Amino acid sequence: MKKLVFAIAFAFFALSGYQMFAQEPELSPERKQAIDSLALEKVRDLSKYVKLIGSKNTPWSEANRVIDRAEELFAPDAEIGVSSLAKTKIEYYRVRQYLERLMRLNYDRVEIDWYKIQYVSDLQRQPDGTYVGVITIFQTFKGYDAEGRLVYQDTTKKDITVYVKRKETQIGGRLIGFWDVLLGDMRVKETTHK
Amino acid sequence: MVPVFVLALSFKIDAQVIGSLGDVQMDETELYTMTKQMSQFINRFNYEEDQYGKRLYPSDADYRSAKKRKDALPLLFDLNNPRTSGTLRDFFVEDLTKNNNQFIEFLGGDWFSEVSAKFIWEGKEVDVSLIMRIEKDGLGSKWVISNVFFSEFQKYFPQGELSEREKHFLHPMSHELDFMNIYKVFSNPQIVEYYASNDYQPDYLTLFFYEIKQGNLKFDHVVSVKFHIFQIKNWYFEVSWFNRSGYNSGWLISNLIYLKDNEKEALIKLYQPTK
Repeated sequence: MKKLVFAIAFAFFALSGYQMFAQEPELSPERKQAIDSLALEKVRDLSKYVKLIGSKNTPWSEANRVIDRAEELFAPDAEIGVSSLAKTKIEYYRVRQYLERLMRLNYDRVEIDWYKIQYVSDLQRQPDGTYVGVITIFQTFKGYDAEGRLVYQDTTKKDITVYVKRKETQIGGRLIGFWDVLLGDMRVKETTHK
Repeated sequence: MVPVFVLALSFKIDAQVIGSLGDVQMDETELYTMTKQMSQFINRFNYEEDQYGKRLYPSDADYRSAKKRKDALPLLFDLNNPRTSGTLRDFFVEDLTKNNNQFIEFLGGDWFSEVSAKFIWEGKEVDVSLIMRIEKDGLGSKWVISNVFFSEFQKYFPQGELSEREKHFLHPMSHELDFMNIYKVFSNPQIVEYYASNDYQPDYLTLFFYEIKQGNLKFDHVVSVKFHIFQIKNWYFEVSWFNRSGYNSGWLISNLIYLKDNEKEALIKLYQPTK
């Protein structure tokens, strides 16, 4: 419900400057910040879903439902490119495949935490007019065995593509403009930070 | 000498954690000081991001501030490399902040990305460098392949001795003989290009596309990415990724050369032959 209110409020906010935007190639700082918030909201959802999917306390059926929700955040052709310090060649996964692998990891207990640091790039326009940006976040992963020993840990930098597109919808006979945000390819790279 | 280490430690991380998804209870100063994206490198280089990580806009008092930029710029160099941490760096910073009118522009041209990749060529793994540049197109822009460096292609076109090259030409009255002597052009395929104009430059990108289309060259994977920046008057520098702990990591200046603009042109031609 909170999200719906936010989306409608944002749609009206965005509508107010729509005509002006149509002629303006650049986003104003205020509008960019509003779009950044919207994009971060998606990334925040993703981070929550990843924690749930990775957790061994999440029942199998529930984890599958969460994977469905997480998949909806991404553009249909999005891929995840993963590399580690030991294996620098990028391995490519479809979003679902990546999340299912996370769900099936062979540890007795898993801890996934996100650092507070994040970085949101400027938005650039691609040739079709869609804005594209990258949000960088950091995650720690810890895997424990049945005796509670820490058997694997890493810190990964996740660079997530964000597509922002201007769309319109009819609400009560009125044409309302809104910003549609979708996540795209995600690059997952292990860092030396522990 | 700017006390980079002290400066890095004095940073606060407020602006990069606003509305954050984070739950880790650890010191994040290292991650804050890391230049996490090339976009952030540009913003820090131009001082369009303040020392607290807050994005600055033209309406902000500190936007592109010369004084603050002077303190921030040394943080963007690889401090483990004497080439990028000594006097030359100080000259560069001084030059940039003296008039404070030079900045990196995303759509400003004259900056390139070099993607070092592995390809498979005649059954073996080979190194190929793809030179990429931003090109304006439609309503926005895109990365395009601007040139390619592959040693096997360079071998096709050795420079050769000038005295040897000068021996090979078709005399100016050849046309009167229906070019009966043209067979000489093709008698030694290794030097066929000697018969082209003195201005001739091999187009490696076309060769590359041809080999890809023929199936002779197959992409395998990317090894590394770096950037070559020519936008600053009389300077050239490279930006590389440093994945390491400490307060000097991420995208940093890995090479710096004082290069007069007239000397730059020849170098830029290597990256963008069509310019």
